[in-house]
Amino acid sequence: MRSLKAFLLGATAVGALAYALLATLALSAQRGGRTLDLALGPLQLVAVAEEGTAVVTTFGPGLVALAVVGGLANLVAASVLRHRSGGRPDRVD
Amino acid sequence: MISATDTLSLAPGVALERGRLADEVRGGSWPLNPSGVFVLTRTGEPVGRIVRELADAYSLSDTAARADVLRFIWHLNALTLVNVDGAGPPLRRFVDWISLSARLAPAGAIPAAVTRRRSIDTRSVGRAVGSSLAAIWARMALIAVATMAVAAQPSALAGTSSLVVPLGLGLGTGLGVGFHEAAHAALLRGVPSALVTRGRRTYVLHARVTPSRRSLVALAGPLAVTGLGVGLVVAGSIVVAPAIAIAGCPLVAHALALTVAGGDGRVACGL
Repeated sequence: MRSLKAFLLGATAVGALAYALLATLALSAQRGGRTLDLALGPLQLVAVAEEGTAVVTTFGPGLVALAVVGGLANLVAASVLRHRSGGRPDRVD
Repeated sequence: MISATDTLSLAPGVALERGRLADEVRGGSWPLNPSGVFVLTRTGEPVGRIVRELADAYSLSDTAARADVLRFIWHLNALTLVNVDGAGPPLRRFVDWISLSARLAPAGAIPAAVTRRRSIDTRSVGRAVGSSLAAIWARMALIAVATMAVAAQPSALAGTSSLVVPLGLGLGTGLGVGFHEAAHAALLRGVPSALVTRGRRTYVLHARVTPSRRSLVALAGPLAVTGLGVGLVVAGSIVVAPAIAIAGCPLVAHALALTVAGGDGRVACGL
């Protein structure tokens, strides 16, 4: 349960932050009349493209991948911290 | 930094009762020796005068009395039991702080930060939010102005006269700090609590609650501010107003407090 909580909190944090930054970036590009195409390797993060007279902003699966990576990183960090803070029954300081 | 003209006051929720220092928020009390009672019955007096009176009463040298009183005050202040109230105009104290910092700089140190505890009224959610914001508004304003000043530098270097980005970042950062603590306090309805600031740190001190409630209280701060920030980013996207989205970004940055890198995340994960 603790591991699931650590994963979900990390994923939420990184996902929300990545979304906010990418959305703001896309919005600035859209406002400036520019196109944008950001990707993490094959995984698209965000794209701003002109389709006819309209400007379309698309968030890709890279955003979900970032969130999953954030969740895993938090899970690992929580495990390390738990391991370090755990008392050892065979040792006194 | 504590100077001779500063005065002491018992922190909100702390009382001197029959030789003991009782803390309503922590729900505990601690015995005091006679010289501790001597100092704490002189709250409101300048520290320098308390030192002289203690030296006279206990036949101590001024140096020994000063060392004893200052050690006692620093200890109680670090435990958020005593507030130290600066005397004189803020500008003068700032100049004194700069002067002391310059003297300590060769040693690679800066003046120790004084802890300040302010009361929070948790009788209702509205009062908790209102009293939290009232307790922290000065810090919110300072953070907002400092962020604006820093964010304005790249704009100025780029030759941009628009203040939209610095203003948005400054307001978002300042408001985020206040709303974060207010959201913690909102979930502490009926629980004796206080808002504590120490240097860069700001936190809500509260009476013992169940572990599940403690987790919820810890999550409430970053989640509420992150939700507000995401809302601003979405709203900015809908009306195509980058300024609104930019103001939302510092609020969303509070999401990092959900991870184990932040104290709230560690509490929520039971660490």
